[in-house]
Formats: sequence, C-alpha cells, structure tokens
Amino acid sequence: MSILHDFEYYKPADIKSAVELLDKFGNKAKILAGGTDLVVQMKENIVTPDAVIDIKAIDKLNEISLDDETLFIGACVTFTELMESEIIQKYFPLIKDMSATVASMGIRNRATLVGNICSAVPSADSAPILLVYDAEVVIKSKSGERIIPIEQWFAGPKKTVRKDNELVTGVAIHLIKENHAGCYEKLGRYSGEDLAQAGICVLVFEDQIYHVAFCAVGPVPKRAEITEKFLNGKEITPEVIKQAKKLLLEEISPISDIRSSKEYRIHMMDVMFDRGMKKALNKLRGGTHV
Amino acid sequence: MSEIKILLNNEERIVEVQPYETLLEVLREKLGVISPKCGCDRGDCGACNVLLNGRSVRSCLILAVEVDGQEIITVEGISKDGLSKVQESMIDNNSFQCGFCAPGVIISATELLNNNPHPTREDIKEALSGNLCRCTGYLPILEAVENATKE
Amino acid sequence: MDKLKYVGKPVVRIDGKEKVSGATRFTDDLEYGQNMLYAALVESTEAHALIKSIDTTEAEKYRGVVAVFTGKDFPYKFGLYMKDRYIFAMDRVRFVGEQVAAVVSRDKRIAEKAAKLVKVEYDPLPALFDQMESLKNDAVLIHPDLGEYVHVPWFFPQAKTNIAHWRKTRQGDIEKGFAEADYILEDTYRVPRYAHCPIETHAAVGLCDLSGRLTVWASSQSPHTQRNLFVEALAPLGFTHKDVRVIAPPIGGGFGGKAGVSMEILAAAMATKLRGNPVRVIWSREREFYNTSQRLGVIAKLKIGVKNDGMFTAIDHRLYWDAGASAEYGANVVNAVGLSATGPYRFPNIFIDSVCLYTNLPPCGAYRGFGYSEFMFGLESHINRIATHLKMDPVTLRKKNAIQEGDILAYGVPMNPSGLLKAIDAVEKEIEWSKKVKPIDSNKVIGKGFSLIWKAPAMPPNASSAAFIKFSEDGSLNILVSGMDMGQGFLTVMAQIAAEILTVPVSKIRTENPDTDRNPYEWQTVASHVTWSCGNAVRNAAINARDQIFEIVERACDLPKDELYLKDEKVKCKAKPEFELPLKNFVIDGIQTEDGTFRGGPILGKGIFMPEFTSANSDPETSQGGHPNVHYTVGAAAIILEIDKDTGEMHVKKVVEAIDAGKAINPDLVKGQITGGLLQGLSTVLYEDMRYDEKGKLLNPNFTDYKIPTAKDIPDEIVPIIIEVPQPDGPFGARGVGEHTMIPAAPMVANAIQDALGVRIKTMPITQEKVAMTYLKKKEK
Ligand code: FES
Ligand code: FES
Repeated sequence: MSILHDFEYYKPADIKSAVELLDKFGNKAKILAGGTDLVVQMKENIVTPDAVIDIKAIDKLNEISLDDETLFIGACVTFTELMESEIIQKYFPLIKDMSATVASMGIRNRATLVGNICSAVPSADSAPILLVYDAEVVIKSKSGERIIPIEQWFAGPKKTVRKDNELVTGVAIHLIKENHAGCYEKLGRYSGEDLAQAGICVLVFEDQIYHVAFCAVGPVPKRAEITEKFLNGKEITPEVIKQAKKLLLEEISPISDIRSSKEYRIHMMDVMFDRGMKKALNKLRGGTHV
Repeated sequence: MSEIKILLNNEERIVEVQPYETLLEVLREKLGVISPKCGCDRGDCGACNVLLNGRSVRSCLILAVEVDGQEIITVEGISKDGLSKVQESMIDNNSFQCGFCAPGVIISATELLNNNPHPTREDIKEALSGNLCRCTGYLPILEAVENATKE
Repeated sequence: MDKLKYVGKPVVRIDGKEKVSGATRFTDDLEYGQNMLYAALVESTEAHALIKSIDTTEAEKYRGVVAVFTGKDFPYKFGLYMKDRYIFAMDRVRFVGEQVAAVVSRDKRIAEKAAKLVKVEYDPLPALFDQMESLKNDAVLIHPDLGEYVHVPWFFPQAKTNIAHWRKTRQGDIEKGFAEADYILEDTYRVPRYAHCPIETHAAVGLCDLSGRLTVWASSQSPHTQRNLFVEALAPLGFTHKDVRVIAPPIGGGFGGKAGVSMEILAAAMATKLRGNPVRVIWSREREFYNTSQRLGVIAKLKIGVKNDGMFTAIDHRLYWDAGASAEYGANVVNAVGLSATGPYRFPNIFIDSVCLYTNLPPCGAYRGFGYSEFMFGLESHINRIATHLKMDPVTLRKKNAIQEGDILAYGVPMNPSGLLKAIDAVEKEIEWSKKVKPIDSNKVIGKGFSLIWKAPAMPPNASSAAFIKFSEDGSLNILVSGMDMGQGFLTVMAQIAAEILTVPVSKIRTENPDTDRNPYEWQTVASHVTWSCGNAVRNAAINARDQIFEIVERACDLPKDELYLKDEKVKCKAKPEFELPLKNFVIDGIQTEDGTFRGGPILGKGIFMPEFTSANSDPETSQGGHPNVHYTVGAAAIILEIDKDTGEMHVKKVVEAIDAGKAINPDLVKGQITGGLLQGLSTVLYEDMRYDEKGKLLNPNFTDYKIPTAKDIPDEIVPIIIEVPQPDGPFGARGVGEHTMIPAAPMVANAIQDALGVRIKTMPITQEKVAMTYLKKKEK
C-alpha cells in the first residue's frame, strides 16, 4: 500500500519555523512526530495533507525535563524514552507502567505520548494518567503560548481543541508532593499488544483524596468527577466501593464495537475500578511513593 | 524528489526519494535490501522491522525522507560478516518454519540483546511481542534467544 | 529394519541458514526486471448484485495507465473441483471485495489512483449471509446456473438451489441405534469462518514472453495444480501445458490458503494480454482477509445415543456449511467431513449429512484441518457432556469407544493401524488427568479439558507424487520434487529419506523448490500428505538410484548386484569385504574398466507414488462402496486452563499433545508442528473473530482487530509426545501430522471451561468476553 497523494515534507529546526509553516498551511498541514498514526492514515487515504511537518529536528521537543517542580515531556518524546528516563522512573513510575502497555517495542520506539493525545482516539492510553495528574498541554503558535488543562483538551473522538496553526510542544505535569499511589488498569483482548477496550487510572492520596480517570468507555477520556466527589474524604470500604461503582458506571458511556460489547465494557469497568483501587491503596499502604 | 544520505548496513548510501515513499519501499525497491518484509503495512506485524540508530522500528511507518543522515541496519547488515550468535542459535533450534517473520524477529532480538545481554523469558517475550509469527508458536524462537545468551 | 542413521533424527532444517540470514527470496523479493507492470484492483462494494455497467474511460485516459481489464476480457470459468468462478466478476458480483476490474501501469501509484476512477453500476440483489437462509426453498440463487457447472464425480450439487454439494453417509440402522440408547444428547454447535493469516500475503507475477510462453511465479502450495488450472481456464487463448510454467519460490506460510488457485489466475490471465511484461499482483493485508479463501463456517446439529455403560449406539450429525460465494474448493471440505464426522469413535449406526451452501461472503476453501477442527469442536464437546450425564470420566468414555485398527469406518472400510489408545494414555498420564489443580489467586479457577485428534487426507483418489534424484561430481545430490516447504520442513524431511537410503549425509543434499518445467509432478502440498506421498516417491527414487549404482558396479567391477550395499557414501560388497568404492568416484563420470573404457554415467533416480487402493466411487445415498481416504492420523491432547472469573481472561498453564506420526522422520519438526499448530488452534478458539456488517463487508481486515497471538500469548508449557505405530505404506512407516496438531484446541478449551466454571459454550470463538459474560449470567441466575 503506497501513500497515493503528493505532499511536501518539511523538517524545521526550531519552533519558530515550525509555527510559521503551520500558519502558512493551516488545516492543510499535518505534524509528524512518531508517524505511527499519521503514516497509516495517509496510506489509507484518511488524511491527505499538502504539507507534512516533521518536528523531530527541534531539540526542545525531544526533552524530558524537570524544572521548578514541573515535568515537561516534549512532543517528540517516545514511549520508550519515557520508560527509560530516570526522571520518569523516579517521579512518575505510573507513566512508565502505562507506557509499557502501549503497543509493542517497535512502535514504542517511535510513537510519542504527545502524538497519542493529539490523535485523541477515545482509547488513548496516555490520557487517563495525564488526567489524574492534572497535566497541561503546552501549545505554541505565532500569537504566542497557550496552556490548556488536559481536562479541556479532548473535544470529541479524534478531536482536540488545538487550532490548525498551533503546535503542541509538550505536556507539563506539576510534581505532587503529597504521598500518593496509583495504578492504570487496561482491558485488552489478549496479553499481546492491543488498543484499550477500557482503561482506568486511579490516584489515591493519604488524605483521602482520589483521582479517577478513564478512556475507551466514552467519546473522550475523562475524569470521573462525580465518583471522585463521592469518594473524597471517605475511608475506602467495600460498601464505599460498591456505591462508587454505581456512580462511575453512570459517568461512562461505552458503546459496542467490533472490539468489545458495551455490556462487557461496563462489567469490566466495575471489575477494574475495584482492582485498581485495591492495588493503589495497597501501594499507598506499602509506602511506595508512585 | 529529494536526496537522502543514510548509513545503511555500514555503507554510506545516497538515494533520491519522494516524500510519500516509506522507508520500507525505498529499502526494498531502490536499495536492494529485501530482508525487511511487508506483512501488514500498518505497524501490526513487525515483519518490516529495521534498526534505526540502534532501535527497532517499523519501516512501513516511516517516511524515507525522515531518516536522512541516520543509521539503518537490516538483517543483511547483521549477516554480512558471518551470522550473529542469536542467528546461529536460531538455526540450531529450528526456530523458523516459513521464515517470513524471521528478519523482523532477528531485528527485535538483536536490539534486545544489545540492551540487555541476559534477558529473562519474560523480557524476551516482551521484546518479540511485536513480531507476529503464524507458524511456530514462538517457543522455538524464544528458546533460541535464551540459548544464545547462555555460557 | 536396520538402525536408522538419518531418519528419526532431529536434523536441523536444510534451509535454516538461508532463512535466518535474510537470503530467502519469496515471490515479491525476486527481481523481475525493468518492464514490470503493477496491477491495482477494483472490487465489488456489493455483496450480491448484477453488474449494470462498468465505465473504464476515465481510468484508461489516466496518464501512465497501460491497460484496464474487466470480466469480458476473460470470460472463462475455473475452479479446482468445480468450475464455479470467473477470473473477474462477469455479469454479477457475489461478495464484497470480489475483483471486478484491474488497472495496470508501470507505476504502482498510478495504477491505484486510476483504479479509483473505474465506475461500476450495480443492481443489488438480496444477499445471503447465513447458510441456513441459503438453504431455504425461496432463497435467492447465488449461482442460477449451478446445474451446468462442471465438477468432479463425487460432488452432488443441486440445480436451482444454493446447495453446492451434499455428502450423505449412512451405516447400520439409525432408528434402531437411537432406540437402543439409554440416553440421547442432541444439540447445535456453531463455528464461524476464520482467516489463515500467513504473514506473507498472496503474491503472483505473470510473464508471457513474446513467443507466447507463460511463466507464473506464485506464493503457492500447488504449482502443478495451478498450471493445470491455468491451462484449463486459458485454453481458449491457445495455451497448453507445454506453454505454461509455474515457479514456486519459498512461501511465507500457507495453511491451506495458498492451495488451489485463487488470485494467481489474475497474474496469469493479464500477462497473456501484456506480452513481454511481468505483471505483478500482490495482495494487501486487507485483501488477504477478504479476497482469499477463508475457513468455512459450520452449524452442526449433533445427536448421539449411548448406553448406560458408555457404549455409543448411534450418531446423527448434520452439518451445514457456509462456503461463501464459490465452492470450487470448499465443497471438498464438506465432502471430507461428510465421510469422517464420526470422529475417532466406533458407532454401529451412522447418519451424516454434510451440506455445502453458497452465501454472499468471501469464498472458502482449504484451511489447516480441512473441516475436522470445525466438527470436532461440537463432537468432542458433546462427548464430555455425555460423560457428565453418565457420571463417567470423559477420558474413560473416549477410551471405551475409541476406534481401533480393523474397526469399520463410516464408509465401510477397515481402520488403519493406529496409536490412538497409546496417545490417550500418554496424555492422561502427562497431564495428571485425575488430579485437580488449585489456583493460587482467589479470583481464578482452573479447569482441565481433553480432546482426541482425527483426520485423513482429503484428496482425489489418484493424487500422486514424483521425484528425481541427481548426483553431482562430489557425491552430493539434488532432490527434485514439487512439494512445497511452507515451513513444515518438507525439504529437510525429503533429504533425510534420501540420505537414509543413499547413505549421503543430509548436509550434502539440496531439495529444490518446485518449478513445473523442471521438477516432476506433485498434486498439491495439502492434506498433510506430502511426507507420506512425496516421501514415498523420494524413497522410490533413492532406491532406483541405488539400483542403478549397483547395476553399474556389477557391470564394471564384476561383483554380484545382490551382494552390494551402501555404507557412508561408498559401495561395499558383502562377498568381498575389502571392496570399497566411493560414490563420488563414479556417480557422474562412470567407472573406468581395465581397457580404459567407462561404464555407467550420471546417476538419475526416479520415483513415483500413487495410492492404488483408493476410489471415490460410492453410492451417493450412503457413501458405501468406495475407499475415499488413504488413512487416518490420530492422537489426543489435554489442557490446563486458568480462568479469571471476573474478567474471563484465560491463561493456558499446560498443554499436552500426543500424535501418532507412524514414524517421525524428524522428531524436532514434528514437535514444531505441535507447538505451531496448537497455538493456531488456540487462537481460533480464544481470539480470532471475523466481523461482518449487515451488508457483508468485513469490519476487521487487519491485525489490529483480527487478533492472532503474540509471543506473550503462548501456553506456559507445551509437552509434545510422539507416538509411532507405523503406517504400513508410509516411508519408514510415516504418516502426516501437520494439520492434526491444531484440531483438539477448541474442544479442549471448551471442555476445560466447563470443568472450571460449569458453563458450556457452544459457539466459537470463546473469547474472554464471552466467558466473562456467560459466567456472569450464570451467577445472576
Ligand atoms: S509491515 Fe510494517 S509492521 Fe507489518
Ligand atoms: S516462521 Fe512463518 S511466520 Fe514465522
């Protein structure tokens, strides 16, 4: 299968030139980082950009850095780089765990976390984690920089609030000082690589604050706000979990597709929430700082 | 059309490419490197794996223009001066049946062993899980990688 | 038999080095030169429709387009056992994805772009996606001319219906059989279609040179059969067998999907009109899913009667097959099952109906297991359920009724020697059948499942093999055969057989890939029969070469032929122990006599094999009176399956499979078939699932959503066991095992789930979702 349409390829060396190109081509441009989604979509004629802007030559976008207690993951950072990064391993092991669930090595060596949230498929593995950590999406355009809380990032299946002339340079996460623990549970059809049929991420804090986010069980990945509100301040008992599950199931809106039925997704969210909470609490009690 | 220069199997190669050409197409159709195979053309099977700057990647998902100035190794490169230990071990273990998946598997195994000379069975499974093989049930491949790390 | 030196040894594959060094050239890896033309296809968007018009003008005008072809360019029918398909759709399309036209260009992108400009107008007809709908009297006819189709004499298509074939097998008195039963269990089992998924997709390149000589390179299991079918189809254009050559480079997996002829005919046909230019037709992965033969789906209605002591009294097995839009190959799957759907059991009274139905889904054909995996799912599930009812151990029940040598088969001839009971015992012991396994995790349960293995090659009664053996100056040799090494290790096994007889080490033997011009005849590499059939041919060729050697030595050295023997690449003589003549000294150059003249010349062994006891002629109402199958290969298998009760996730802790190979020419390769076949079988039951929408379009034509297992999905432990009860007419006693290894997978999983969770799932696949939801329903009750 060849890519049938013609396009120009650009490889800007800095953010400024990238942004200028974006400004020029607008919705006729596609940004290329890992390419694991874009190239497939071009082959299948789903997107036919006039310009493909490869941003891998921009140094800043290849960085994982920790400044002022803020983690920055550049737009070209691959899942493998995240897994191998000492900063990630030390401060955000959950990101490492999640990255390990994404596809397989040959893809992780190329695919990026930022690309994952820019593609914005409902099953994006990176989303629930960024949601529970209140990450921010950092965006540059000719008119300057804009920061969008991840909660507001997803606008629908495969849609984000990014404007055509904007470049996502990375995501930022503020370091959490309080003791906490977390866990990402993902439903696949088998042990080998699979897209999430349902995914849930929970963070539990010592002071009985809970963050819960999900993917693949609604049009966009989301925080389970109602469930969180109910849980916050409560000691976790089987009864509390039972009630929380009810709320959670109301917050999700899974569909049946060729991968899973709606009923199974609902059932599995129930199971995974339960197991995820237990695992996270165990970690917290075990004193493992996530 | 633009010209790219790559270090391919330790030899500098210059080739004219169109932006729409994938690395897999250029390797097979313009550079005479045919060990990477097209099994799915969308990143699912790993038959097209090559080492790009030492990491295994899907050459079907990479535009050839992207790799200008970079280093690529394929099974031709690995075999050039005699087979590697893991390849020898694969022969001894009758690891492959049809062998269509073999080049991709060897790339993944080579990357694994470069980074981790003493992998566990689980590490090996993880590293090879992006390579689909319909024939072997994987066991003889896993055993060959294990045997290659012994002694 | 003397001690064997090469046969029975775990020799490494003779093509191993080629494969790991990247040297192997598959069809699309070969160089076809600068004249190459690329073909892009236009496919049907309708499941069933009349073609109103095809407008190719825009495509023809597109810059760089060399030719555009449609059905009217090749109005010829073809097919293996029944001529029921066209090269391109003619007046109607019968499934979504059927080839309607092709655009050819020197540039593959231009061909693809121009293909999008071909406009096809359809007049939709009602479409049939369920074989039970196809069976109805008022169903729309998918092949209105079925009555006129040419077919083999053992098919019984019914004109003016959608029934492509109906195999009936009857033995004993079925009513009496059920009347005698103390318990009768009746139920329906469903097995959907499956895709072969070789990692190399179908590929063919056709070149008709300016003299009119047609060569086709194809990723193929059947070079000679393909040549024959090409000639049959293209005869109106003046082609004869002499003019057509099929070359089969190494193939990247077949599993039955590359048997017979499917897309290869496109390369052959188009090449005839584009002389001097190789025409390349390569299937994309997507097309590999929807326009190659698939495994047939089946709905099996099964009724078994049994006495309280566990002895079976009768079986009534009615199988309704979804063969898709053409049945030229698939109907023989239906036929094979119609003769064998008793499984490896003794039933005194038998009633089998195996009905092949056309539907508007892609055509189905051969798939590893050839129908046996499909019916064994129901049969082996049923047997467990009967055992539960009788409160009898399911393995004991199987042993009681297991078929043995000399027992009469469903079509009335005696069963061949078989190690079935040995296999059952070996598996029972290794899996510790009577011992319960406790899970460590409280969310999990563990079950055990058992299944038998049973299959015969399904072939025309006169399917044959041939071999040549030729020596080189250094005493090394080449074997010329036309079987395909699809990975099973055929090339190596043939080398071992020749090595044993000629005492030449395997390392000095090359077995050649088929080329119909050069290599002798082989029917097809299917039916797990080449070790047996072609193995016999190679054995005969080696014996023939040896006879020639002895004859020359007798003439030149004046030693009695009967006293000569071969040892370590030398001719020796019992009567004259000091005599010793290395093969390399004379196998090309002959032996010089005292007067300076030479005797002999190049040694060229030839061997053929054709079973001379088989016949497909039998009573169409009962299938009695013929001898359709050469022999059955049998075995047994068991599984330990761990199941997460909440999520339904299943994890195979251990599988044991014992198979009666007669004689394992290469035990390591037999084990390779067990590990590979088992995983393929487990995959059909646990993961794979073809999803069609309501218009007959496949929704998951890719590995993203048609899941085949990865290295992470393999059983924790596999124990292969080889049983050897020799097949009297097999080379060194061997019989085939390639397909059999996947047959027990589905029923043993279903049986293990029943054991662990107490639920019986009767529809494949049995995905984790299905297990979780079925169990949830059970808990709610
Ligand atoms: S061909 Fe590239 S991953 Fe399959
Ligand atoms: S050996 Fe055939 S696909 Fe791996």
